[in-house]
Amino acid sequence: MSRLELTNIGAPNRLTGVSLALEPGELVGLIGPNGSGKSTLLEIAAGLLPEATGAVSWNGERLEHIPIIERARLAAWVPQEAQFEFGFSVRAVVAQARYAWGDDGAGVDAALARLDLTELAERPVHRLSGGERQRVLLARALVADPPLQLWDEPLAALDVRHGLEVLHLAQELKQRGRTVVLSLHDLRAAHCLDRLILLDRGRLVAFDTPERVLTPERVREVFGVRLSTGGGLNLELA
Amino acid sequence: MNPTTVQRWALPVATIVLVAVTFASLAVGDLTLSMQEIGDGLLRRDETAAFVLWGIRLPRTVVAIEIGLALAGSGLVMQAYFRNGLASPGLLGVSSGGAAGAAVAIGFGWATASMFVVPALAVAGALTATLAVIGLARRGASTERLLLAGVALNALLGAVTSYMLSNFTISYERNAQIIFWLLGGLEDRTWTHAAMAAPVVVGALLLWPLGRPMDLLSLGAREAQTLGLDVRRLRRQLLGLATVMTALATAVAGTVGFVGLVVPHLLRLLVGPEHRRLVPLSLVAGAAFVLGCDLVVRAADGLRLGIVTALVGGPFFLWLLRRAR
Repeated sequence: MSRLELTNIGAPNRLTGVSLALEPGELVGLIGPNGSGKSTLLEIAAGLLPEATGAVSWNGERLEHIPIIERARLAAWVPQEAQFEFGFSVRAVVAQARYAWGDDGAGVDAALARLDLTELAERPVHRLSGGERQRVLLARALVADPPLQLWDEPLAALDVRHGLEVLHLAQELKQRGRTVVLSLHDLRAAHCLDRLILLDRGRLVAFDTPERVLTPERVREVFGVRLSTGGGLNLELA
Repeated sequence: MNPTTVQRWALPVATIVLVAVTFASLAVGDLTLSMQEIGDGLLRRDETAAFVLWGIRLPRTVVAIEIGLALAGSGLVMQAYFRNGLASPGLLGVSSGGAAGAAVAIGFGWATASMFVVPALAVAGALTATLAVIGLARRGASTERLLLAGVALNALLGAVTSYMLSNFTISYERNAQIIFWLLGGLEDRTWTHAAMAAPVVVGALLLWPLGRPMDLLSLGAREAQTLGLDVRRLRRQLLGLATVMTALATAVAGTVGFVGLVVPHLLRLLVGPEHRRLVPLSLVAGAAFVLGCDLVVRAADGLRLGIVTALVGGPFFLWLLRRAR
């Protein structure tokens, strides 16, 4: 039974006919040029696009049959960017992920610590930098600790160290049997993931291991850049 | 002061202030009543005091509390709904809708038929305005779309009111009535008015458990939905409550501005953004604020409630804007 199954999903002018299935304990990268449909795919997978066509299943159950409160326990979605109003504190925002569990506050401190946010816990979120805000959103996804994690460009605003931390976190979740899908632009980072979904102009180009997806020909074709395989692709935490 | 101290004491202090201004509202007027006389009057042991209290001051006080609950409550709701601390019942055109409805009722002379005509048309106008905004914004209900729809409706409904004023210049009396109503006030409010606005209390109680969901909504509809909130349902509830509460308040007291804008905004600065705290606090403080303003109205000649709330709220709001930069 697949953790996430997309059957012929699409959205007008954004994404067409994408079908794929992700298994438990898989760490999957979502790559493609700007406007290729990465965010749309994640939004459809999270059940956030009412105008989407096709079918989405989580753990073998059609998404529209899963009550909204139950969805929060099964999947977390991290948006590319979030607008914060009214000066909620970092802790308050992260603790919102426990709404579906009756606001029990479980795991909030641990998630704050994991994303290096303990010191910022009482600060209003809208006063943080872009990278700090991104970590707040990740911490919120971590608190819920659902089987499926959908992250939209979680590394975009992060510095090198925090970027690597987040990749480590994704690995850690995968080892605990979680399925993590994250969109990213860093092809070197993409190389360390289990499988890659490559999108181009709203269509699925390839869905396979990084070695098979990121061939020099395809990278040139889709991204219009030359890929030299001579250099090392290793990324390590300092 | 420690922020948690402020948070802990805000509601008790607001409640004490509300009780104090309620007593003041019963005591102050052409005939000043002592605590003893208020007690006797309420128990009908003192005939004069009983007449003043039961006939004039109690209904006026009750209506003031009701519109305070309604305006501050719906202001808070709209700020959460639009994720914008500058939102207010006036924003959607709800108040303008109520005003236009009342102006039509008075202008065409229908108001003389029954005392319910003005409130009924005010409610109808306010509801029409809200339904129009929702209809306009249905496809992709972005904040900008809703706000712009509100701006357009405010202009349109304002034009209706102005037309009623300019077209019926022959009848000085009707014009005076419309203007009197537009200024907002609690003069001559009776138990009938209090009963008319009574559903507001039910609305306030229904609002009570929605504080936590409002927290989630104010951080974005899509995030809220992925966190387990039925966003569509909550939005319907909030908009319905805010509209009916504003419409009823406008119906019994005319257009009273700035309460829904200033009260929740100020309280958010004091106790932070969490709506579980803000909902009860806004309701209590809103009631106290309107009652307090009405005391000023009664103390000075020629003032009206709408004038006082604007005189207090306007500068305060400008100060807020300056401070927020």
